[in-house]
Amino acid sequence: MSDPRTTVTTPGLLAEGTHDPGTPPAGIKRAPTGVDHLATEHLVINMGPQHPSTHGVLRLLIEVDGEEVVTVEVSVGYLHRGIEKLAEHRRFNAIGTLMDRGDYVSGIHGETAVALAVERLMEIEVPRKAQWLRSLAAELNRIASHLVWFGTFGLDTGGMGQFLYAMRDREAILDILEAITGQRMMFNYARPGGVVADLPVGIDEKIRAFCDTFDTYLDEHHALLGGNEIFQGRVKGIGIIDAEKAFAFGLTGANLRGAGVDFDVRKKRPYDAYPELDWEVPLGSAGDAWDRYMVRMGEMRQSARMIRQLIDGIPEGEHTAKVPKVLRPPAGEIYACVESSRGETGIHLVTDGGDTPYRMHYRAPSIFALQAVEDIVPGHLIADTVMMVGSTDVMLGETDR
Amino acid sequence: MSPTLAVIVRLVAVLGLMLTNGVVMIYLLRKVLGHLHIRLGPMHVGWHGLLQTVNDVLKLLTKEDLTPRAVDKVLFFLAPVVVFVPSLMAYLALPFSEALRATRLETGMLFTFAVLAIVPIGILMAGWASANKWSLLGGMRAAAMQIAYEVPLLLSVLPIVMIAGTMELGAVVDAQAGTWFGLVPRWFITDPLLWPTFLIFLISSLIEVNQTPFDMSEGESEIVAGFASEYSAMKFALMFLSEFSNTFVVSAMGVTLFFGGWLLPWAPDSWYEAVPALAPIVFLTKAYVGVVLLWWIRGTFPRVRIDQMMSLGWKRLIPAALAMILITGVVQKLLAPVLYRAVG
Amino acid sequence: MRPDARSSRAVLKRAGVPADFETLALGEVARVPAADVIAALKALKDSGYESLIDFDGIDTGDDITLTWRLRSYSADRETYVRTSVAYGAEIASVWNVYPSALMPERETAELFGMRLAGHPNPKRLLTTDGVPPLLLKEVPIRTEEEVKAR
Repeated sequence: MSDPRTTVTTPGLLAEGTHDPGTPPAGIKRAPTGVDHLATEHLVINMGPQHPSTHGVLRLLIEVDGEEVVTVEVSVGYLHRGIEKLAEHRRFNAIGTLMDRGDYVSGIHGETAVALAVERLMEIEVPRKAQWLRSLAAELNRIASHLVWFGTFGLDTGGMGQFLYAMRDREAILDILEAITGQRMMFNYARPGGVVADLPVGIDEKIRAFCDTFDTYLDEHHALLGGNEIFQGRVKGIGIIDAEKAFAFGLTGANLRGAGVDFDVRKKRPYDAYPELDWEVPLGSAGDAWDRYMVRMGEMRQSARMIRQLIDGIPEGEHTAKVPKVLRPPAGEIYACVESSRGETGIHLVTDGGDTPYRMHYRAPSIFALQAVEDIVPGHLIADTVMMVGSTDVMLGETDR
Repeated sequence: MSPTLAVIVRLVAVLGLMLTNGVVMIYLLRKVLGHLHIRLGPMHVGWHGLLQTVNDVLKLLTKEDLTPRAVDKVLFFLAPVVVFVPSLMAYLALPFSEALRATRLETGMLFTFAVLAIVPIGILMAGWASANKWSLLGGMRAAAMQIAYEVPLLLSVLPIVMIAGTMELGAVVDAQAGTWFGLVPRWFITDPLLWPTFLIFLISSLIEVNQTPFDMSEGESEIVAGFASEYSAMKFALMFLSEFSNTFVVSAMGVTLFFGGWLLPWAPDSWYEAVPALAPIVFLTKAYVGVVLLWWIRGTFPRVRIDQMMSLGWKRLIPAALAMILITGVVQKLLAPVLYRAVG
Repeated sequence: MRPDARSSRAVLKRAGVPADFETLALGEVARVPAADVIAALKALKDSGYESLIDFDGIDTGDDITLTWRLRSYSADRETYVRTSVAYGAEIASVWNVYPSALMPERETAELFGMRLAGHPNPKRLLTTDGVPPLLLKEVPIRTEEEVKAR
C-alpha cells in the first residue's frame, strides 16, 4: 500500500505520482507533511508476567495496530535465582538440585548434563545399567514435559478439553518417577557416576502398563486437539521458522526439527543408552507451528517406544560407579549437552581442581527460542502471539536460571 | 387482578426465573465441564456441591465493589445494566407453554433477537469505560462480532418464518405439531430443507452467547478476560449472569424454532390439558439439553481467530443464509403443495 | 552452495584473522584478539558454521574470557572462538553475524559488568538496575547484611 502522505492521486498543487517530501534540515525531525487522517494510533500493551498464556513469568511488550502486532519485546528475568552463581558454591553432587529448578518440568535432563560433564572430566566409567536407568527416567520425563506443553498449547488456543486428559497421563508418569527417584519433579536422580538408586521392585510392570495405555491415549489426545479443524486453522502456516531462521537464532530441539533439520543430540552426540536403542527422529518440513506440534507428538510416541526397549533390556549390574564422596575433577574445561524436552541443554563446566566448579554455564534452549519469537510475531494478531509462544515451548525457569 | 399488578407479577416472575436459572446453570456448567474434563466439579458444599453456587452468589454480593480510578464512571456503572436488562427482556416472549409466557408478542422472534443484539453494546461500553487496553480490545471485538453475526442469525431464522407464516413463537410451535407419515414428529429439525438453516443458526447463536469457539470478547488465553477484566463483585456477577441467561435464551429459541417447543413427540393434546405443568417441563428439559450441548462444544473446541471468524461470517454464513431463504421460498411455493398432496 | 564447514584454523588463516589455536577437552578453540572477533565469526559463518549455539563468559581472575560456540549442521562440526577482555570493557555485539547472540550478550554483559556496543536493545536481561555483576568472583554470594543475619 502506498503512503497517502507521499502519493498524490488527484492532481492539485502537485502532479500525480509519488512525491518526495524531501529530507528535513538538521534540527527538524520530520518534514511537516500534515496529519494523516487514516493512520491509526499504535497501542503498547503489556502482556504478562501475570498473563494466563505466558507460561510462567514471561513478559511481552507488544505494540499493536488494532489487533495486529507491530513490534514485540521479550522481557525475562522474573525468575532469576542465579543458578550459575550458586553452582560455583555447590559440590558437584549437589548441582543437580539446582538444575532441577532450571527447567522444572523436565529436571532429569539438566541433571544428566551436569553428571555427564563431571564424568567426562573425571573419566569415570559409568555402569551400563546406570546409563539405561538414566535414559529411562529421561524419556519418561520427556513425555511428562511434552504432555504439559500439549495441554497448555491447547489452552492457548482456547480449548479446555485436552488439558486435564494430558494431566491425567502425566500424573501416571509422575507416580512412576516418584517410585523410581523418590520425587515427583525435583528428582536429583542422575548423579556423577550413575543414578541415586536402583529400580524399585515391581515398577517395570507399572511402566509396561503405562506404555500399553499411552499409545492409545496419545491417539486420543491428537484426535481431540490436532484433529480439530479449528485448531488446524489456528496453527497451520503460523509462526514459520524455517531452517535459515532457526540457525540464525540458535534454535535446537523440536523447534529446529520442525524446520526439517535432522539434528538430535541423542543421535548426533550420543550419550547414555541412546546409541543402543532403536528409534527415529520425527521431522517437520515447513517449520510452522503445526510442524512443531507434530514433531512433539511424534517424539512422545518415540519416547514410549524407547521406554519399552529400556524396561525390557535393563542390564544387570551396579546402578552407580564407585565414586568418592567428594568429587574433585581435575582442572579443565568441558561442554556436555543433552537433548532435553526443549532442545539442547548444555553445561559448560570449568574446574580448577577444587570440590566446586570454577564456573558453570547453563545453556538454556528456551532463551534462544524466545529470540525467535521476537522475530516471528510481528505481522500476526494478538491471538497468534500467544500461539507462537506456546508453539516454541519455552520454559521460563531455564531462561532466567 | 388489575393489569398493572399482573405486569408486576410477570416481571417479578421473569426476574426470579432468570436468577434461579442462572444459579442452576452455573452449577450445571461446572458439573458438565468437570465431567467432560475427567474431574468432579464442585463437591464439598452440600451434596455433590449443590450449594456451591449459592455460596458464590453470596460471596459476590458481599464483595467490595471496586471502581478503578481511571474509569469513565458513568459508563462503567451503566455497562452492566445495559448488558443485563436486554438479557432479562429476552425472556419475555419465550413460550413455555400455550398459556405460560410473560407476554404474547406477534413479533416475538424478532423481539428476542433484537434485544439480544443490545448486549454487545453494553460489552463495548464496558470495554471502553474500563480504561484497560485488554478490555478495550474485548469491547472492540464484541462490536465487530455483533455486526458480523446479528445479520446471519436473523437471516437464518427467516425460512422458519416463511414456513410457519408467523413470527409469534407460540404459533411457530403449533406449526410443528403432528407427525410425518405418523412416525417422525413434524418438528422443523426433521425437515431436511431446514438442516443448513439450523447449522447457520447454531453457529450464529454460539457467537451470540459468546462461547468457545467464539468467545472472542472474553478470550481468556489471549486478552485475559476482555471486557470483564476490571469488573468485580455484583457488577461482574450481572455480566456473568447475563452471559448464562443468554445461553439459555438461545437454547430456548433453538428449541422453539427447531425442536417443537413444548411439544412431546406423539403426545396427544389431551395430555397437555390434563397436566398443565407438562408443557413447561418439556420445554425446560429440552432447553437444558440444548444448553448442555452448547457446553459440550465449549468444553471441547479451541477458539477460532477473530479474522477467521469474520471471514466465516461475511463470506460463508450470510450468503448461505440468503441462499437458504431463496431455496425455502422456491420449495415452499412450488414443491410443497405437490409434496404435501403426496404425503397426505 | 554453502562451502563445507572446515577446521577453524584453515578458515581463519585464509581470512587473515590472527588467532592462536589450542585443542582442549572442550574441542577446537581459536583464541582471537577482541578487536578481531567479528571478523573471525564472519569468516567462520561464511565457511559453513551456520549457528551460534552458545555464548558465555568466564571470570578468570585476570580478565574475562568470552567463548562463542559455533556449530555447522551441514558438516556436523563444532568449533569455539575465544577472546579475553578487561573488566568493565566493551563487548562489540555480533548480532549482525549471529542474531542468536542478542540475549546471551545482554546477559553476559550484565552479569560480568561489561558494556555493550552496537547492540539494538542494550538493556539488562535478568536483573534489575543496581544489582552488582553477579558472576564476577569478587561479588559475594551473600551480602554482608545477610551474612551477619545468619
